[in-house]
Amino acid sequence: MAETDKLKAILDALPGPNAQGTFADLDKDKVEWAIPEIAKGGAAFVVGLVERLVEPGKGDDVKAHYALHALAVHLSGLEDDKPRAEFARTVAAQLAGDRPPGVKQYLIQQLQVAGGAEAVAAIAPFLADESLCETAALVLVAIGQGAAEALRAALPKVPPACRLVIVQNLGAVRDAASVDALRQALADADAQVRLAAAWGLARLADPGAVEPLLKAADAEGWERFRATEACLTLAEGLLAAGKKAEATKVLTHLRDTRTDPAERHVREAAERALVAGT
Amino acid sequence: MARGTRGITRRAFLGGAAAAAGLLIVPRHVLGGPGQTPPSETFAVGLVGCGGQGGEDVDTYIRGDGAAHKMLAVCDVDRGRMEAAMRKFGETCQGYADFRRLVERKDLDVVSVATPPHWHALISIAAMQAGKDVLCEKPMTKFIAEGRAVANAAKRYGRVFQIGTAGRFGAQKSPRSRLIHKILRSGLLKDCRGVWIHRGGFNVRGYCGRVNLAPEPVPANLDWNMYCGPAPLRPYSSHRFGWSHRYYWDYEGGGLADLGHHYMDPFQWVYGKDDTSPVEVEAYAPPAHPEACGLWGWVELRYADGLTLVLDGAEWGKPYDRKAPRHVEPTDLAPEDLKKVEAMPDPEPLLTFPEAVRSRKQAGGHAEASHRVATILHLSNIAIRMGRKIRYDPVKEQIVGDEEANRLVNQPMRAPWHL
Repeated sequence: MAETDKLKAILDALPGPNAQGTFADLDKDKVEWAIPEIAKGGAAFVVGLVERLVEPGKGDDVKAHYALHALAVHLSGLEDDKPRAEFARTVAAQLAGDRPPGVKQYLIQQLQVAGGAEAVAAIAPFLADESLCETAALVLVAIGQGAAEALRAALPKVPPACRLVIVQNLGAVRDAASVDALRQALADADAQVRLAAAWGLARLADPGAVEPLLKAADAEGWERFRATEACLTLAEGLLAAGKKAEATKVLTHLRDTRTDPAERHVREAAERALVAGT
Repeated sequence: MARGTRGITRRAFLGGAAAAAGLLIVPRHVLGGPGQTPPSETFAVGLVGCGGQGGEDVDTYIRGDGAAHKMLAVCDVDRGRMEAAMRKFGETCQGYADFRRLVERKDLDVVSVATPPHWHALISIAAMQAGKDVLCEKPMTKFIAEGRAVANAAKRYGRVFQIGTAGRFGAQKSPRSRLIHKILRSGLLKDCRGVWIHRGGFNVRGYCGRVNLAPEPVPANLDWNMYCGPAPLRPYSSHRFGWSHRYYWDYEGGGLADLGHHYMDPFQWVYGKDDTSPVEVEAYAPPAHPEACGLWGWVELRYADGLTLVLDGAEWGKPYDRKAPRHVEPTDLAPEDLKKVEAMPDPEPLLTFPEAVRSRKQAGGHAEASHRVATILHLSNIAIRMGRKIRYDPVKEQIVGDEEANRLVNQPMRAPWHL
């Protein structure tokens, strides 16, 4: 039997949705038979599944969609890591092809399930793709290894629509090598980018962020809440790093400037942190 | 940043600063009056999420506990729901499409969060950053790391948090439950042989999501991007909105998450587990779908002290038969240890939300406890989704030895949202 016929036969045997469109009548045994059978087909079967995927709403790919995910989960749990790595490399390689964005998005998401460092290079180019940068960044952060380098390299090159995503996720991975870039982003015209940068610098406990974050926390409304939170997080990190003078500066400022009754909770938070740090 | 709808009031704008101030701010001192509930007992509330549960928590946890409230602001990403809520709560209630504008109001004491769960943590934290106390619908969170962030925010800002389930309040009234609680908290029970099985009540099949959703046009009333918020932005489907959001991993976690919080809240209090989590979790379920919640049979969880918890869906597959139910009994202790436990004072009565707000102490359903309850549910769903036994470190709050499973503990969020 040709490879494509074998895969087809397995997918035909895989249960489909019921009349309501759910798997509420799923036969567990049939699924648990099918997935290892697909795994035995290696990269060829993975490619076969990918080729059956369609853009949402453009056809019926329910079984291939489910099977690819179930395969990712199955392989990620094996003692031997080689099948998982091969799956990840195969899926990653499919990203280079001419496939609809919805399919690429799904493939990247399966790399969040079973991808590792071997997938990073294939995902990274999508950081500059306006429709996929979000998915790419989130999966890179989930993978961890190699994410910081990919995000950092992408930041100077991405279109404006992707900038917030990159800045925020540099903070998510606590990339110390991006401190300068994050400090620059504190002056961005986009308030959301500024807040993402503040959050990132706070997570990095960057002493150079004390003055700009305190200034940012003088804003009003939402920005004030978020920048103040960043200041408190920064102070906590500075204390943990033994930078007591810098932390005290942040906390004293918040304690002394939050005199509005509506901000009593901030003043008290700063006071508690000062007491805890001394 | 796109700004949501500014306050919309059905009262005609009269013009003039004083009139504008009167429309926007209702000082607490005017909410009482002769013969009415004292102002200190009247909570100025903002509601985020005007769907099915919108308003329920303020009725249950404020009015139901003897205090009064005034709904000053409502927010929903669906304009129709927002306007219906404004009509329901009267002329002084203003509407918002963006919760950030609601939490900016200085005249709110409490924010009631009744959105789908993928927003619960972010809005609760934002409200606390803005100085408000929080009533939050269950399940508290969508994933484990969110709960820790909410608990940290409550502690940092000294805010009161109450989850929208109250089973522990009933449990604490039982002398036997109080005794079991003391036994477990005493540290004297070295090998807990208790097996708590919760059987049924999860509507497993009813909460299965659709695996063949087709994109639909986004309704004109709905801000779909904001609805998705931190969750993946997928093509709109009416089945992902409204009641059925519960059936999708992006927003909740099926019946186990939606209903499990009610069942696990009293269990966790009785067994003294408000500050810890199971260390081993195993599920019996078919391989899970990536987006739609699906079938599951049972989940077995074990705590470090030996206590076993079983969530038995009782609808699908082979029934759970590994262990028989077994209560923790006073006779599980040596007689001299039992005497020590009986001599211990009873646990402090759990505070209602109004009591907690007045005293600035923790409410009975506080953030740490609720986070630990939600962790039971999330670990269960992780075990279902990964199809293998999970080991969990309840101190570091990480899954041990399974990198891919651990990615579900702290799920990255779409910008600009983050914990």
